[in-house]
Amino acid sequence: MTFCFTGIRSFPKLWKSNPYLGLGPGHSYNSLFLKDCYGIRNQQKLFSLQTASPQNTKAINLPIVKARYHRKGSGTISSEFPHLFAAGAAKKRSQMNPQSKDHVSPPVSNIIQLPTKPLNSEQWDKLKEDFKGKANFENWIISQMARHNSSVDVAKSLLAWVATKNNGIVSYNLLVKYLYLCVFHKQTSEVFDVYEIMKARYKSLESGANTLLIRGLIHSDRWREALVLLEDIKKVMTPSKKNYNDCIQGALLHQDVNIAWNLYEDLLSHDLIPMMETLKAFFDLGKHIKDDQYSNKLLDILLYLRNNQLYPGESFAHSIKTWFESVPGEQWKGQFTTIQKSGQCLGCGKTIESIHLSPEEYEFLKRKVLRDVIDGGDQYRKTTPQELKRFQNFVKYCPPFDIVIDGLNVAKMFPKVRESQVLLGVVSQLAKQNLHVLVLGRKHMLNSRARWKKDEMEEVQKLASCFFADNISEDDPFLLYATLHSGHHCKFITKDLLRDHKACLPDAKTQRLFFKWQQGHQLAITSRFPGSKITFQHILSYDTVVQTTGDSWHIPYDEDLVERYSYEVPTKWLCLHRKT
Amino acid sequence: MVIEATEEFSFMTVFFKMSVSIAFIRPFARVLVPFTLNRKRSVFCSLILQRYMSSKIPPVPCPNKESTSPEQLELDGWKITMKSSVQEGVSTVLSTQDEDPLVATRELIEMWRLLGREVPEHISDEELKTIMECVSKSSKKKYLKFLYVKEKMKKAKQIKKEMKAAAKEKAKEDQLLETKENKQQNFLFLRLWDRNMDIAMGWKGVQAMQFGQPLVFDMAYDNYMKPKELRNTVSQLLESEGQNRRDVDPFHIHFCNLKTDGPLYGELIKRYGEKWDKLLLTATEKSHIDLFPKDSIVYLTADSPNVMTTFKHDKIYIVGAFVDKNIQPGISLAKAKRLNLATECFPLDKYLQWDTGTKNLTLDQVIRILLCLKNNGSWEEALKFVPRRKHTGYLEIPQYSQEFVNRVKKSKIIKPFQKGSLNIYTQKR
Repeated sequence: MTFCFTGIRSFPKLWKSNPYLGLGPGHSYNSLFLKDCYGIRNQQKLFSLQTASPQNTKAINLPIVKARYHRKGSGTISSEFPHLFAAGAAKKRSQMNPQSKDHVSPPVSNIIQLPTKPLNSEQWDKLKEDFKGKANFENWIISQMARHNSSVDVAKSLLAWVATKNNGIVSYNLLVKYLYLCVFHKQTSEVFDVYEIMKARYKSLESGANTLLIRGLIHSDRWREALVLLEDIKKVMTPSKKNYNDCIQGALLHQDVNIAWNLYEDLLSHDLIPMMETLKAFFDLGKHIKDDQYSNKLLDILLYLRNNQLYPGESFAHSIKTWFESVPGEQWKGQFTTIQKSGQCLGCGKTIESIHLSPEEYEFLKRKVLRDVIDGGDQYRKTTPQELKRFQNFVKYCPPFDIVIDGLNVAKMFPKVRESQVLLGVVSQLAKQNLHVLVLGRKHMLNSRARWKKDEMEEVQKLASCFFADNISEDDPFLLYATLHSGHHCKFITKDLLRDHKACLPDAKTQRLFFKWQQGHQLAITSRFPGSKITFQHILSYDTVVQTTGDSWHIPYDEDLVERYSYEVPTKWLCLHRKT
Repeated sequence: MVIEATEEFSFMTVFFKMSVSIAFIRPFARVLVPFTLNRKRSVFCSLILQRYMSSKIPPVPCPNKESTSPEQLELDGWKITMKSSVQEGVSTVLSTQDEDPLVATRELIEMWRLLGREVPEHISDEELKTIMECVSKSSKKKYLKFLYVKEKMKKAKQIKKEMKAAAKEKAKEDQLLETKENKQQNFLFLRLWDRNMDIAMGWKGVQAMQFGQPLVFDMAYDNYMKPKELRNTVSQLLESEGQNRRDVDPFHIHFCNLKTDGPLYGELIKRYGEKWDKLLLTATEKSHIDLFPKDSIVYLTADSPNVMTTFKHDKIYIVGAFVDKNIQPGISLAKAKRLNLATECFPLDKYLQWDTGTKNLTLDQVIRILLCLKNNGSWEEALKFVPRRKHTGYLEIPQYSQEFVNRVKKSKIIKPFQKGSLNIYTQKR
């Protein structure tokens, strides 16, 4: 007993020791838990930051002669550096050069302490007197209560107080906030009551209250009324994916599979991307349903993930795994693995799909890049027709290149070294390997200046083919086109993530195609010190996408604790195969 | 930091252990939570306990039974009155009306207003139709907010107007008492200032039409703009024309590429009304390259690589009548490139410590700067029309000397590096 007591006593410590809890309103037990993990994770990150930073600062501060000692070490650094498109890489990169620490403003101290137990009218009156603010007291206090998830009884006592003061009328705003608290605390009977009140008082409701009511009703026996509310929302606007998620969850909870699938179809027909929770719910229920039709629909969901390049979360991956393993008679075996650089699954040894585009896709992408990225409806915006013609002729009469270099991007890699010298270093190292290199640049690189030595540029031109665009033209589109024109084997070197050019492409499908091609063909230089042997980040040889060979499935998934940016791909996989 | 982390871990384990034994302390939970703790903590503690209990033991109708006090009984009283009272708003509901999406939308907006969202109080059928035509939810919300702000401004203006009228009335009454004693006075002029000003400006405008330096507004951007941007453009054009009219030595303004069936023309006519035909400027469907020799044209665009150093009185400056809200860079530069015209941009970076915002200035700011330069103003003088929020102040060191300083700095840094890096090269080979 005493032990328990100390356990509870240590709660306040949590507030003190973990700054994250103080900041946001602790929404629920769950989110608190997550936030806690977040805190721990952040501390780990701080460690990695600390270990990395000494080398980093040395790289900046030390003159180059000293930096030579670190050359051996630089290889290992680059190998542990995550791939350009690997999940979490951008986060790491941003931590390598910590410039601006995002400062979170301290929480606004409340003027009034929120009551923890129901108050009577006199106490509310007194509290109102204490309140000094611009806002309406009732609105303000119930908002605060909703933010801090006060108990329903406290809110109820507030409403009772408001009602007695106001001839038994409680405003809509207060009702909705109260409904939120009821839904949050899963007080179903209260939700029913508020629903009745709203039905009696108002002819129609707005989307916020409808959403809350749907969420409140699905757990009860009156879940079918949630579907009516969904229809109400549809009259004016498309329901959100959360509305659909709630309704589907409700239907699945009450074993009405047909309604759930119909809602899912409806959701897709509105061009909404379903929430992962929705899909997970289908898989979770699938364990108990032994039905071929249902299984096929689940496989359709997996194909949907594939086609839209979506990745399940960690818990969803677990659900998929348990569902597969529960399929009777098929004896699936699932495991969480990673993929080797060669593209083989560590779990089963099968080779993952290649990153290379099919010939049709390749042609399609090439056409799109020429039409939308370079031309874009107005050839003068990025280049001029004359220049485009000159470039196309140039590419046509040159044999296919092996490597296309973004000259300016590469040359500006080390800010303290002369540009032309860096460029020459890279080009000569590549030329030694008998690679046919194309260097793209702008004309100003040729005008001899302090940073662009004429003799070094002449050397570059001897070792590689060069194309210099006008100073006001963009060179990246040329880079893309030259690489695409040369064929599958051709790679390009730049550190640029090319997001602005990807954005020029018209639809999501083409953008995904572009991203796939980019993953397979972009080389990024990882060398940290000028003069060292250049090392490239390895290119992924396999495509990170949900895939199947009939008797095996490979599903990449997002880890809960890794923040993945939209241009990165997960590194963890779920490998499922049938025992034979 | 290590200690802190482990502490947290240990805390977690304590928490889990605690949750095992929590069944025992349930009846005491309320008592255990020390009420002396500050509010946040106690809320948090009771919240976790409460949640835990309610999730673990489902059939608990009311989580804290022990707190049933006499006042608990009153808590549900308000529900009865709420249920029994009459519906708000339209009491009689026709089922056919319910089907109508317009009515449903109107009701939705009304409910949103009750919720304190930013939606207008009154909404016309036309505006309602515009809302229905909005493609996405966010565009609907944006438009509603626009209407809301508009309504608010209108209301504020109305109130101000009424207050002014009341004050005027009062002043009049006061004056009436005074004027009775006032006698006839001798004046030189009748009070016709405004009309005289207009006439003088018209006179100057006519002179500018004959001998003034041309300034071209290129109106060929109407297909790059959305209706809202179009309206903004026309507002800015009106403002710039007014600014020009008031100047000592106005430009001769040309509206080139102005299609008579285009939206810009329609909007201009709507805004100017009858005055459009009496404006002292040249509006033409022709392009500026047809009107003027190509080599004297200078296209002003912020994307230009060339910086304007001086205002030349023999050049024809062209300004694109283009408000670009969704940032499509290089459109005006592309236009100039296509016609092979010279381009220039204002030397904003040279004179100003730029802070935020785009370098694109509004049309009226551009014409003010040009007018100031034309009247022998210096750049410092002219660039005071750049909004103050966009820069932190004027640069003290002119650019050329700063460049020189930079060059000196660079050469100092580079020299040792060159040596070092050369060393590496020789060693490697």
